[in-house]
Amino acid sequence: MPKTMFDDEDGTLAMLRDSVGGFAEAHPGAKALRARRKAGGDLDRGLWSAMAEAGWLGLMLPANLGGADLSIREQAVLSEALGRALLTEPVAQLAIFSGALLRDAPAGEERDRLLRGIADGSLLVTAAWQGAGGKAAPVKASGAHPALTLTGTCHFVAAPVSATDVLVLAEGDRGRLLVSVPAGAGGLSVTTRPTLDGAVLGAVAFAGTPVESGRVIAAGAEVDGLLASAIEVTRLALAAELAGVASRALEITVDYTKQRVQFGKPIASFQAIQHRLVDMWGDAEFACCAVVNAVERTLGAGGRDGRLATLAAKARAGDAAVGITRRAIHLHGAMGFTDECDIGLYMKRAVNLNATLGQPEELRLAFVDLERSA
Amino acid sequence: MQTDWNALPDEDFRHVFRTWVDENCPRHLRFMRKQRPVFDEVAEWYHALAAKGWLSPVWPREHGGMGLSAAKHIIYVEEWARLGCPRIPDHGIGLVGPLLIRYGTQEQKDHYLPKILSGEHVWCQGYSEPNSGSDLASLKTAAVRDGDHFVVNGQKIWTTLAHCANWIFALVRTSRDEKVRQKGITVLLIDLTSPGVTVRPIPNLREEADFCEVFFDNVRVPAANVVGVVDEGWNLAKAVLGHERIFLGAPSRPEYALSRLIMLAEARGAFDDPAFRSRYARLRLDLYDLCSAFDRFAKVLRTGGELGGDVSVLKLFCTELYQRITEEMLEIAGEEARFADDLDANGSEVDAMNLYLDARAPAIFGGSNEIQRNILAKAVLGLPG
Ligand SMILES: Cc1cc2nc3c(=O)[nH]c(=O)nc-3n(C[C@H](O)[C@H](O)[C@H](O)COP(=O)(O)OP(=O)(O)OC[C@H]3O[C@@H](n4cnc5c(N)ncnc54)[C@H](O)[C@@H]3O)c2cc1C
Repeated sequence: MPKTMFDDEDGTLAMLRDSVGGFAEAHPGAKALRARRKAGGDLDRGLWSAMAEAGWLGLMLPANLGGADLSIREQAVLSEALGRALLTEPVAQLAIFSGALLRDAPAGEERDRLLRGIADGSLLVTAAWQGAGGKAAPVKASGAHPALTLTGTCHFVAAPVSATDVLVLAEGDRGRLLVSVPAGAGGLSVTTRPTLDGAVLGAVAFAGTPVESGRVIAAGAEVDGLLASAIEVTRLALAAELAGVASRALEITVDYTKQRVQFGKPIASFQAIQHRLVDMWGDAEFACCAVVNAVERTLGAGGRDGRLATLAAKARAGDAAVGITRRAIHLHGAMGFTDECDIGLYMKRAVNLNATLGQPEELRLAFVDLERSA
Repeated sequence: MQTDWNALPDEDFRHVFRTWVDENCPRHLRFMRKQRPVFDEVAEWYHALAAKGWLSPVWPREHGGMGLSAAKHIIYVEEWARLGCPRIPDHGIGLVGPLLIRYGTQEQKDHYLPKILSGEHVWCQGYSEPNSGSDLASLKTAAVRDGDHFVVNGQKIWTTLAHCANWIFALVRTSRDEKVRQKGITVLLIDLTSPGVTVRPIPNLREEADFCEVFFDNVRVPAANVVGVVDEGWNLAKAVLGHERIFLGAPSRPEYALSRLIMLAEARGAFDDPAFRSRYARLRLDLYDLCSAFDRFAKVLRTGGELGGDVSVLKLFCTELYQRITEEMLEIAGEEARFADDLDANGSEVDAMNLYLDARAPAIFGGSNEIQRNILAKAVLGLPG
């Protein structure tokens, strides 16, 4: 069955896969998802701590701050395995995105405190930077450091209730700022909306929220660079996670169609079904290849080459995961339409991740713009 | 002593190969409209390659080949396509040579291989019959033993380039086993100039002569022309393609078509149309991802591995993408999409209709895409029945 194929001389990647496999046996993803959905929660604290203990939350963070100092290659393999196991805690947002924003920011007490907290799981650092349409939309920062206050609303904020700290994109009199605000800060309020995959996202409103001294992480043009690279690395991780969702949903469906008997034989023996499954398999295979290509180009030439490859990978894997899970439901018959059957959860997770940080059409157009601008 | 090309680093080999080919492949043969020029049209290129010793990339060096590894062979094919070199009649190089090198007798090798390299023998492939296409094992062309000869009666069809070939390697039926239809099939090398052979070209969809019917009427073929064992030809015919299966999914055709689509779109201002941009983006990314997938399988070969059945995912994706790109060319050609001749793109000619027609074929030959899906269902997904 499709999976990403990397050189793995020292066995790190196999170890990561095994570690997620073992974890998922102890904490089945579908069960955790249903429990969180029932509780209306945004994150499972117990699972989160266990993930931190497994070393997954600081994979790409510096070793001196508790991270593992590994590359996007290992992150991709981990994310793919999370996708397969349907482990749906907001790792992409709270660990990868926030981690990437901070990792490349200038060293400083606050930045280091947050990074340590991300890696050891003690802090839940979410980022507030998107407008209602999903694009970067900084809130207004008035006054001057150290008497800054924030006004405005950000959308699509992950773990908005559980978060301990919020990284906020702001626009001050002298340009862009990236600041951190404690979750309980004055004037900060959260409205939540349920997501398809059994969590909630928040709209976080700031009404004159003060920024404490020492909490400006980065300023000026640098902020846009940090944001762009955090988006890119998270997109690639999401692509890998989507490839994992896609491959696992395919496997489940192949198994189901082999054992479901109608007309006296397994439905997998019907050619109409076989050809569908083969096409689904091809889509999953291509998604994995696109992820490998993006990882290799990001680690190789990087720059524009890596950006193009990442756009392609997120688009391909998103289409594959959504398309495969949709067909998977159909091939399960009415069983696929029940809440009890896990295949529907894979579809919901796929739709959710596909909508995160750019849908395929938008990414493809960005690819073409970037390529043709040369 | 010939060069050991495999000892060169990949990029050095690429450079050496490309430089010579670019200097020696005649300009007027580059990027031909025809997929399948006949021997005489490309003879000078064929002989130039032969003289250089580069006609046959994968045959071992002892047989006059370059002895390239799969990885180097991929470079050879990539540069060939990039420079727009014409396809040469290559059934001898690509199929008969490997077949004989693997299964032929010493006499067969000594006799046939040099004649392939010299161009004296031009080969074609006689597998399909009017009633045996996808279901090839049902083939009926009969070869009956008569002393030290076989007498062949029957018909082959869709035989590419038979009209410029003088030899055919054919699958013939030498016996019948009701239970195992694959048994009783034999590989036979037949001289097309033998009495009783008739070759009739069939104009194809592009109104070119490119494939033919071949009739056998009591054709006497020496028994020494059997390759391998009588009645046991099926597996040998199937095994002849090894790593070359990757090339059925090589991105070069869709790549070329996309480059023409871009020329056309730029000339007609289509990139200003958001609807076109969106459709183009999908095709562009499909091609980009096909290259990533091709690389994944090429890497298996580069690291000394062998391809599995899963490689045919490339053939499926590649042939269907090629079709969709050419369909888009007609879309933006608008009212002009009914002319048979080329389209003008800022003074350059774009053979949109030619490509549109050409793109129908690769999904049919080499195991049709439905047959590929049938095989993948069993071989990769392990589906029953
Ligand atoms: C340009 C070109 C060059 C060729 N050159 C050669 C050559 O040099 N030598 C040679 O021997 N042959 C050659 N062929 C023939 C080629 O191998 C056959 O066309 C191919 O095997 C399909 O057989 P068929 O044409 O009889 O189609 P059929 O087998 O009749 O198939 C017709 C349609 O039915 C579908 N179909 C068939 N069986 C199934 C099934 N079990 N499940 C689902 N769908 C099915 C096919 O996919 C196809 O779409 C060439 C063909 C082309 C188009």
